[in-house]
Amino acid sequence: MIAVENLEKTYRRGDGTPVMALKNVSFTIGEGEFVTVRGASGSGKSSLLNILGCLDTPTSGVYRLAGEDVSNYTDEQRSHLRCRRIGFVFQSFNLLSRTTALENVEVPALYSGERIEEGKAAALLERVGLAERGGHFVTELSGGEQQRVAIARALMNDPPLLLADEPTGNLDSEAGHSIMELLGELSNEGRTIILVTHDEAVAEFAQRELIIRDGLIASDTLRTAKPPASEKTGS
Amino acid sequence: MKLGQTISLALRTLIRNPLRSFLMMLGVAIGIASLTAMASIGEATQQETIRQFKRMVGTYDLVSIVPGAASTRGMPSLTTVEPSLKFDDATAIAEEADGVLQVAEVQNAFDIDVKYRDKTTVSAVYGVSANWLEMREYFLETGDVITQDDIASLARIAVIGQDIVTGLFPDEDPMGKQIRIGNVPFAVKGILVSRGAGPGGGSLDGVLFIPVTTASKRLFQRDYLTTITAQLSDPGRPGPSIESITTILRERHGIVPPGEDDFTISDSRASAEQVEEVSSTLATILTGVAIIAMIIGGTVIMSLMLIAVSERRREIGVRRAVGATRTDVMLQFLIEAATVSVVGGLLGITLGIGGATITAMQQELPPVLLWDTIGFAVCVSVGIGLIFGLQPAWKAANIDPIDALQS
Ligand SMILES: Nc1ncnc2c1ncn2[C@@H]1O[C@H](COP(=O)(O)OP(=O)(O)OP(=O)(O)O)[C@@H](O)[C@H]1O
Ligand SMILES: [Mg+2]
Repeated sequence: MIAVENLEKTYRRGDGTPVMALKNVSFTIGEGEFVTVRGASGSGKSSLLNILGCLDTPTSGVYRLAGEDVSNYTDEQRSHLRCRRIGFVFQSFNLLSRTTALENVEVPALYSGERIEEGKAAALLERVGLAERGGHFVTELSGGEQQRVAIARALMNDPPLLLADEPTGNLDSEAGHSIMELLGELSNEGRTIILVTHDEAVAEFAQRELIIRDGLIASDTLRTAKPPASEKTGS
Repeated sequence: MKLGQTISLALRTLIRNPLRSFLMMLGVAIGIASLTAMASIGEATQQETIRQFKRMVGTYDLVSIVPGAASTRGMPSLTTVEPSLKFDDATAIAEEADGVLQVAEVQNAFDIDVKYRDKTTVSAVYGVSANWLEMREYFLETGDVITQDDIASLARIAVIGQDIVTGLFPDEDPMGKQIRIGNVPFAVKGILVSRGAGPGGGSLDGVLFIPVTTASKRLFQRDYLTTITAQLSDPGRPGPSIESITTILRERHGIVPPGEDDFTISDSRASAEQVEEVSSTLATILTGVAIIAMIIGGTVIMSLMLIAVSERRREIGVRRAVGATRTDVMLQFLIEAATVSVVGGLLGITLGIGGATITAMQQELPPVLLWDTIGFAVCVSVGIGLIFGLQPAWKAANIDPIDALQS
């Protein structure tokens, strides 16, 4: 599903000094794997996820998504990839304000170029346990509910890959737990999930854990007896 | 993203931000209202000016022949006018010229004292042939017109304008009363309906008509005319008639080109075109004012959209993350600007037409509803939205999604 080789990301600070956020990162993730990426603040987790999510491009190295080398795709090509292949879940939910839950879920369909399937967004809301809340405005929902709406939105265009950057970071442990259970179910349905977290407890929901330190993969371990859907490689 | 979806998204966004939408619409509405109102009032003024002008110079099918070469011609008056046009010239034109329906003879003078008992007023006095009043579309309030009999008998009768009535007969019925025109007594035979003010604002009622023969033999003692007016059968093509008249007069006056003509033929359409030109200049100025107003409206949209773009960074980031291209974002904001502008424009058109109608009623102008102005105003509103929405939309499209999603 995903293969990165010698991935590097260098940012330039305002004063021009370079910051190496990722240094020579290589790994592969198979279809259907549920992987967490853990590491200290500033270790490069978000930088990695942004590249995997085609929001950003690597400074050097190769990123293959489903066999395609997308490292040098244009902004427009990456937009199309994000639209059809990738679903995002963010720490701060990032739902549109003054917009209902249902409308939020429908947003990705606007950009897919296909007809919006009647009832699909409602079915997704039902899938995440919010069947009754479609007409509610975002501000009327709790944090946990908002994150569920965000997950339903991420599923709208049926992407094979879900990326989540600290999806439980803004939630209390109970709500966080149920979000992780939901993601676990989605993983069991065969979706590839990559989840960034600080929290060791959260990482326990996944089968595989990448630890990142100072822009390098420090470890790559299988956590549970449950075998991943595909082979893995260490760095 | 499909256009229909983009428009419905724009409408939804506008409805959910009512205050901002209202302010944006207001900017455009004021601009479009002034455009619509100005154009309507400008058009009404122009139509009214042309109507007044026609009232002053007569209908378009008339050409006037005045004595003197074009270069030396000033306002005709008894003291300065060249004695080159004679009664026989008028008769010859009536009988021989091509495409001439009828000919009127005029011998006039300005600033003549007109008296009744102890009152005096100053008026233009026109000695005219019997067909003149009808040709120039003067209508009578009471009494009778100058007849062929009056002409033949050199009758001392006068048809007077409203200014003479007010000047000499403030509280008397002038009909049949004896007035003195330059010390010659005349009986008032008819009173004209008021023609109001001319394009310059001056009164058109300070006139007095008497038979042209009487003027010639009894009042001014001159055997020449100050104007011959010919009515053409084909006003659309005055050229051949004018040529024919020129040939007749040159022959009668013994003028051989390149010798200078001792008469000038003027076609009233030329002057009418000048008036139209002046009026359309007025319209252009008014439109200019409206355009400035619209630039202000556009600027309001632009500033508010720019603020909206900053406030909606996160939304833009989300849309980009879930697959919107830069073009999608750009279009979304452009269409939003165009939509708000069109709604504002429609509001403005309504206000503008209302304002123009009220103004027209106050100024006693004919009300005009200009469909092409309305169409133009709608296009202008779309244009304002698109043009002034361009920079905000461009800014929105170029927001970095990663940046926008943090915070
Ligand atoms: N746009 C940027 N410009 C400059 N430096 C950046 C930029 N984005 C990230 N960095 C730097 O790159 C490094 C890695 O950042 P990144 O956001 O990937 O860390 P992270 O592991 O996600 O941290 P956190 O747990 O705090 O979210 C940090 O030192 C950060 O300061
Ligand atoms: Mg981070």
